[in-house]
Amino acid sequence: MSRDLSFLLPELVLMVTAALMLAGEMIRRPRLVLGIGLVGLALATGLAWPLLKADTTVFGGTYRIGPLAVWSKLILLPATALSLLLARAELAGKFREGSVYSLMVLVSIGALMLAGSGDVMLLVLGVVLTGLGSFALVAWPADDPATEAAMKFLVFGSVAGAVMVYGLTFWFAGAGSTLLSALTGIDRAPVLAAAGLVGLLVGLGYKAALVPFHFWAPDAYEGAPVSVAAFLSVVTKVAAIFALAQALSALPVQTGWQWAVAVIAAISMTYGYLAALVQSNLVRLLAWSSVAQSGYFLLGLVAVGGGALARESLIVFAAAYAAMNIGAFAIVLIGGRDMEAIGGLGRRAPARAAAMSVFLLSLTGIPPLFGFFGKALLFGAALDAGFLWLVVVAILNSVLALGVYLRIVVALYAPAEAAQPAPQAGAAVSTVWIVTLVITLVMGVLTRLLTG
Amino acid sequence: MSAVLPTILTPILAPVAAATVIALGRRLPGPIALAGVVVALLASGMLLAAAFSGRVSPLVLPGLPEMPLRLEAGPLSAVLSALVAVIATFVLVFATGYMRADPQRNRFFATMLIFVAAMQALVLAADWITLLAAWEVIGATSYLLIGFWYRKPGVADAATRAFLYTRSADLGLYLGVFLLIGAAGSSEISATLAISGPAATLGGLLLLVAAMGKSAQLPMQDWLMRAMAGPTPVSALLHSATLVAAGAILLIRVSPMLPGQTLVVIGLVGGATTVVTGMIALAERDLKRLLAASTSSQYGLMLLAVGAGAPVVALLHLIAHAAIKSGLFLGAGVFQHQRGSTRLEDLAGVGRAHPRIFAGFALAALSLAGIPPLAGFFSKDAIIAATMSAPGAAWLLPLGLAGTVLTGAYMARAMTLLWRGPHAPAGGGNPDLVWMGSGMGALVALAAGLGAGFPAVEELLGAHVATSAVAMALGLGAALAGLALGWKVDGARLLGPLAGRAERGFAIGGGMDALVARPALALARACDRFETRLFGAVLAVGRATATIAQGTRVSDERGIDGAIFGLVRATIASGARARRLQSGLIHRELALTAIATGLIAAALFAAPLLL
Repeated sequence: MSRDLSFLLPELVLMVTAALMLAGEMIRRPRLVLGIGLVGLALATGLAWPLLKADTTVFGGTYRIGPLAVWSKLILLPATALSLLLARAELAGKFREGSVYSLMVLVSIGALMLAGSGDVMLLVLGVVLTGLGSFALVAWPADDPATEAAMKFLVFGSVAGAVMVYGLTFWFAGAGSTLLSALTGIDRAPVLAAAGLVGLLVGLGYKAALVPFHFWAPDAYEGAPVSVAAFLSVVTKVAAIFALAQALSALPVQTGWQWAVAVIAAISMTYGYLAALVQSNLVRLLAWSSVAQSGYFLLGLVAVGGGALARESLIVFAAAYAAMNIGAFAIVLIGGRDMEAIGGLGRRAPARAAAMSVFLLSLTGIPPLFGFFGKALLFGAALDAGFLWLVVVAILNSVLALGVYLRIVVALYAPAEAAQPAPQAGAAVSTVWIVTLVITLVMGVLTRLLTG
Repeated sequence: MSAVLPTILTPILAPVAAATVIALGRRLPGPIALAGVVVALLASGMLLAAAFSGRVSPLVLPGLPEMPLRLEAGPLSAVLSALVAVIATFVLVFATGYMRADPQRNRFFATMLIFVAAMQALVLAADWITLLAAWEVIGATSYLLIGFWYRKPGVADAATRAFLYTRSADLGLYLGVFLLIGAAGSSEISATLAISGPAATLGGLLLLVAAMGKSAQLPMQDWLMRAMAGPTPVSALLHSATLVAAGAILLIRVSPMLPGQTLVVIGLVGGATTVVTGMIALAERDLKRLLAASTSSQYGLMLLAVGAGAPVVALLHLIAHAAIKSGLFLGAGVFQHQRGSTRLEDLAGVGRAHPRIFAGFALAALSLAGIPPLAGFFSKDAIIAATMSAPGAAWLLPLGLAGTVLTGAYMARAMTLLWRGPHAPAGGGNPDLVWMGSGMGALVALAAGLGAGFPAVEELLGAHVATSAVAMALGLGAALAGLALGWKVDGARLLGPLAGRAERGFAIGGGMDALVARPALALARACDRFETRLFGAVLAVGRATATIAQGTRVSDERGIDGAIFGLVRATIASGARARRLQSGLIHRELALTAIATGLIAAALFAAPLLL
C-alpha cells in the first residue's frame, strides 16, 4: 500500500492543494488561492519528475505509472499553472475569482486520472471528474452566453457519458474484467468489442472535441472566459487523447479500431480547418483549429499498439500543442477576441505580434518550430503503422492550416486604421506568452531530450 | 574560433548575429551587415580549403530521435557555400549605396542577413530535416523581401503570388522527402541517395515539382517576373545564388539517385522552360523583367544539364550564372537609380551616359551569351557537349541550342536598347555610385574570369567535364547567331506571330491560378455558405416561434396574456441568444452526433468480417 501511495505523491499533493484552495476561497483571499495553486502545481510537477524511469501499475493494475502517465503530469500540470496565470490576468478583482483557480486544479486531477487509467472504471471517473469542473468553469461568468454554452456542454456531456458507460459495460462482458490490459483477447467476441469501442470513442471523442462529437466546443470556448477556453483546449483534450492511447494500446487490431480512428482523424482535421477558415472571432477560430489539431493527435494514436515511436510522438506533440495553443490564447487575451481588434497589433505591440505569428506558424507545423517536430513524429508513427493515406491527408491539411493561420498573421500586420494605444498586459499574462514562446522556439531542436 | 564554435556553423550564425545586432541597435545597418557576411565569407573560405584538403567532418546536433540534425561541408556544399557568401557580400556592398536613403533600411538589411543565413543552412545541410527547415525560412524571408516596399501598389500581390506558387510546389518536397526517408530509413541525405527502384523515380519526380516552383520552371515561371517588385539588390541575390538556385541545387544534390526516366522528365522540363522563357525575355518591355525571364531560361539550361546526366556541368553553369546575373541586376539597379524606372523605353540611351557601368553590363551579358574567354562560354559549352552525349540527345540538344540562340538574342536586344537613344548627361558625382559600382564591378570581374576556376571545381568534385570541338563550334555559332539577330532585328519581329503571347508571359500563369488559388478560395466560400445556411435555419426557427406567439397574442388580446407575453419575450430572447452563439439547436447537433456514431458502430460491427 505504501509503495502504491509513493507513486501517487503528485496526485496526493494536488488533492491537498485543491482542498486548501477551496478553504482559501471560502475566506475570499483570491491571491492566496492562486499562490497555493501555483506552489502545489510546481510541487506536484517536481514530484512527478523522479517517476520518469518507472513503468509499473498501482492498485492492482487499475492505475498506470508509465511514460504516458508521467509525461501527462509533466505537461498538463505546468499547462494548468499557465492557465491559472491567464485566469488571474483576465479575472482579477471579479467576484469569486478564486473558484476558477480551484476548479482548474480539480479538473487537472481528473485529467491525470484519465491519462493514467489502466481500468475502464477510472476512464469513467476521469471523464466525470473533468466534466463536472469544466461545466462550472464555462458557466462561471454567469451571463447569458456562458450559461447557454455551459448548458449545451452539460447536455452533450451527459449524453456522451451515458453512451460511454453503456458501451464500456460490453467490454466488461467480453473480457470478464474491467482492466484495460484484459482487452487483448476480446476479439474473440467481436460484437462486444465493437460496442465497447463505440462507447469509448463517443465518451473520449467528446472530451477531445473530435468530429462528430465536437459541437459543444466552439460555443463553450466562446461563452467561457478566454483563460478557461485555453485550459479546456489543452488540459482536458490532451488527457482524453492519452486516455484513448491507454485503452487502445491493448485492443486487438482485428476489431478495426485503427480504421475508425484514422477516419475520425481525417474528418476532424479537414472539417476543423474548413470551419476555422470562415471564422472572424478568434476564440471560435482557435476552437475549430483545436478540433483539427485533435485530428493530428490521432495520427499517433493509430500506431499506438505498435512501438515506442507512437507514444513518443503523442508526448512530443502534446508538449508542443500545450505551449503553442496556450500562447495563442494568451495573445488573444491581450489583443482582443475579434480579428478586427488585433488588426495592426504588429505596429502597436511588435513583440506580442511576433510571438503570435510564431505560435500560429508552429500550429501550422512550419520547421524549425516545436509544432513541426511533433507533427513530423506523428507522421512517422502513422507511416510505421501503414497509414500512408492518412499522412497524405494530414499534409494536404497543412495547406488549409496555412490559410487559417496566415489570415490572422495578415491581420496582425495590416496597417492600423486609427492610432490605438498598445493594449495593456500585466505581468501574469506576459509571463505566459514569454514562457510558451521560448518553449515553442527552442524545444523543437531539443526534442530528443523529451524522448530520452 | 573553431575551438569555440565549429567553423561550419559560422556562415549561418554570423549573418544571424549581425541581424540581431541591427534589430537591437537600429543604427549603421550597412556596415554591420557587411561585417556579418564578411565573417561568413571567411568561414566559407576555410570550409572550401578544408574540402580541398579532404578534411571534412560532419557536425551532428540532437534533433528528432533517430534523425539527428547534420551539417557537413562536403565538396559540393563547400563550393556552394563559398558561392553564396561571395555573391551575398558583393550584393550587400552594392546595397549599402542603393538603400542609403531608404528609411526602412534596418529592416532591409536584417531580412537580407536572415535570408543569407538560411541559404547557407540549406547548402550545408546534410539531412532532410535541416534542409526542410532552411527551405521554409528561405520561402518566408523571400516573401518579406519581395514585399519590402509593400505600400506600393501591386507589390504585396506579387509577394503573395510568389509565396503561394513556391509554397504549393513545396508540397512536392514534403511528400518526396517523407517518401525518401521512409524508403531509406534515415534522414541523412547521403543515405537516401542510395535507394533505387520506384521510390527513387517517384521521389525524384516529387522533388522536381518543388524545384520547378523555386527555380521558376514551366508552368510556374510567372511569379518570378512579378517578384521584380522588390528592391534591386533583392532581385540580384534571389536570382543568382539563392532562392531560385535552391531548386537546381536540390536536383544537383539528389542526381546520383535519379533513374533514367526521371532524368528525361527533368531534361524536358528544363529544355521547354529555357525556350519558352527565352522568348518571353525577347518580348519584355522592362529591363528587370527581361532579366527575370532570362533567369528562368538559364535555370532551364541547368535542369537540361541535370537531365543529360551531367550535374557537375549544371553546377558550373549555376556558379557562372550566379556571378553574371547578380552583376546584370546590379547594373540594372544603377540605371534605375539614374532614371527612376526600369522600363526599357525610359532607359533608352542610359548606357551612353554611364559608359563604365554599361561596359560592365555588356561584359556580363556577353558572358551569359557564351562568348570566349568569359565564364559563361565554358559552362554553356559544357552543357551543349553533355546534351550531345546524353541518351535523349535528339530532344535535348536542339532545346539547348535554341536556348543558347535566344540567350544571345535577348542580351543583344537589351544592350542595343540601353545604348541607342537620346544622350542625356549623367548626374554629378554621386557617393552612392561608388558603393554600387564597386559591388557590381567585383561581380562582373567574377562573371568574366570565373571560367579559370572551373577545372579546380571539377577536380574537387572528382568529375571530368567532357567537351568537344563540335560542341564548341555549335555553341559558339549559336551564341554569335543569337547576338547578331538580337542586335540587328527587333525582338517583336523576331518572334513573329508569337510576340504578343510571349509578351503576356504565355498566360500560363492563369492556368496555375486556376489550379491553386481559386479552388482553395471556392472551398472556403462553400463552407461559408454552409454556415450561413445553418445560421439561416436557426433564425427561421426563432422567427416561426415568434410569429406563432404573436398570433396567439392577437387572438387572445384581452385574455390573461402575461404568461403568453412572457413566452414571446422568452422565445425572442432565445432566438437572439441562438443568433449570438450561431447555433442553439442542440438536439439537431446531438442527432448529427448520433447518426455519425451509428455509422461508426456499423462500420466497426462489419470490421471483423472484412479484416
